[in-house]
Amino acid sequence: MSEISRDQLMAYADGQLPETERAAVDAYLAANPEAAAEVALLQRQAHAIRTLFGPAGAEAVPVRLKPSRIAAEIGRRRTRSWGWAAAAIVLVGLGLGAGWFARPLFEARPASATLIADAVNAHAVYVAENRHAVEVGRDDSEHLSSWLSNRLDTTLGMPDLTAEGFTLVGGRLLPGEPDAGGRAGQLMYENAAQQRVTIYVTAALPDRAPAYQFASHDGAEAFYWANARITCTVVGTLPGEQMKAVAGAVYRQLTEGDVGSGPPYRG
Amino acid sequence: MDTFLDQLEACVPALRRYARALTRSADLADDLVQDCLERAISRRGLFRPSGPVRAWLFTILLNLHRNALRASHRRGETVDFDTIPEPSTPAPQPGHIALAEMARAIESLPLEQKEALLLVTLEGLAYGEAAEILKIPLGTLMSRLGRARSALRTLTGTPAEPHLRTVK
Repeated sequence: MSEISRDQLMAYADGQLPETERAAVDAYLAANPEAAAEVALLQRQAHAIRTLFGPAGAEAVPVRLKPSRIAAEIGRRRTRSWGWAAAAIVLVGLGLGAGWFARPLFEARPASATLIADAVNAHAVYVAENRHAVEVGRDDSEHLSSWLSNRLDTTLGMPDLTAEGFTLVGGRLLPGEPDAGGRAGQLMYENAAQQRVTIYVTAALPDRAPAYQFASHDGAEAFYWANARITCTVVGTLPGEQMKAVAGAVYRQLTEGDVGSGPPYRG
Repeated sequence: MDTFLDQLEACVPALRRYARALTRSADLADDLVQDCLERAISRRGLFRPSGPVRAWLFTILLNLHRNALRASHRRGETVDFDTIPEPSTPAPQPGHIALAEMARAIESLPLEQKEALLLVTLEGLAYGEAAEILKIPLGTLMSRLGRARSALRTLTGTPAEPHLRTVK
């Protein structure tokens, strides 16, 4: 009978006591006026709290707290943010596209550097060969000349480097840069000391602009020039003065008769 | 289409009342309710329980309120008791509780006790639902309610009957 807990009294005061326990608490309260006073106090507390704050729940609800209005506002915001997302995607796409098409602007390597690199590479590959250094040997130099001329779409004579101590070994056709006709011809010369130089010739670049350049590349010396008809790179590992002499002879002979091609190089 | 929005709308008066009691400010309370509704609407379907939305809304509101309190504590803002308007009803009779005193007493309760007490007394929620809203076990809820009421009794000048302590 007296096994009534505080929690039960509180539940009784809050009207949350299960029906089955009600009678026991009623009897207990009837016998214990202090407990009854406690329950009454709890109820007065709750009543005071409802009196204090209950009216706030009866006030007219302001428009900004209408769920339908809030939902509409959220919908608008979402549409806007989808718009921004779509705009962002379009901008990123434009950026990527522009970047892709602008690639050539950022490729710093000029065509001449590519041709020189190709020429030096071809030089390094074939000067090391003995039996297969060339495709067409010097005995057939006339055929070599007309064959390469046809393939390169230009007239290509075989420079005579006897004065510089070099004789023709032969030549071959090589794949080349698309910008320069897609093919290249390589002529190889050799001196008494078995030193070799190669001449790498392609059709003119699209701009057909004259250009001259000396370059050191992968341990070889290269002299490159371009005109309206061809590009030519002389490659060798000779000492500087000898290299210049050979390059100068090649240049003079291959540009002979070309309009407006003054010698770029003296001495 | 939206019975969901209708359910929310039905809860708004209770949310405002509860928020007002928690914050003691009509503006702060309505801001809280608005945030609560926005969150509920933007998350519907994601986190919304299948049952009635009331408990879910109260949980959201309580979380927002706690976050706001933490933020304002960091900023050093406090609510000044003296700015709270005195309720106009006096308590002339003995045994009645002075409402102004009660308001101050509730204000001084620890937040967790205040949250629990207001859910049960002001909102009239069942213990089980209040415990679910607060994400606490039922026993914890009962002890918070007990401590809150003892504190109120002391603060409102109505001492407990001594022998009741031994009843338990």
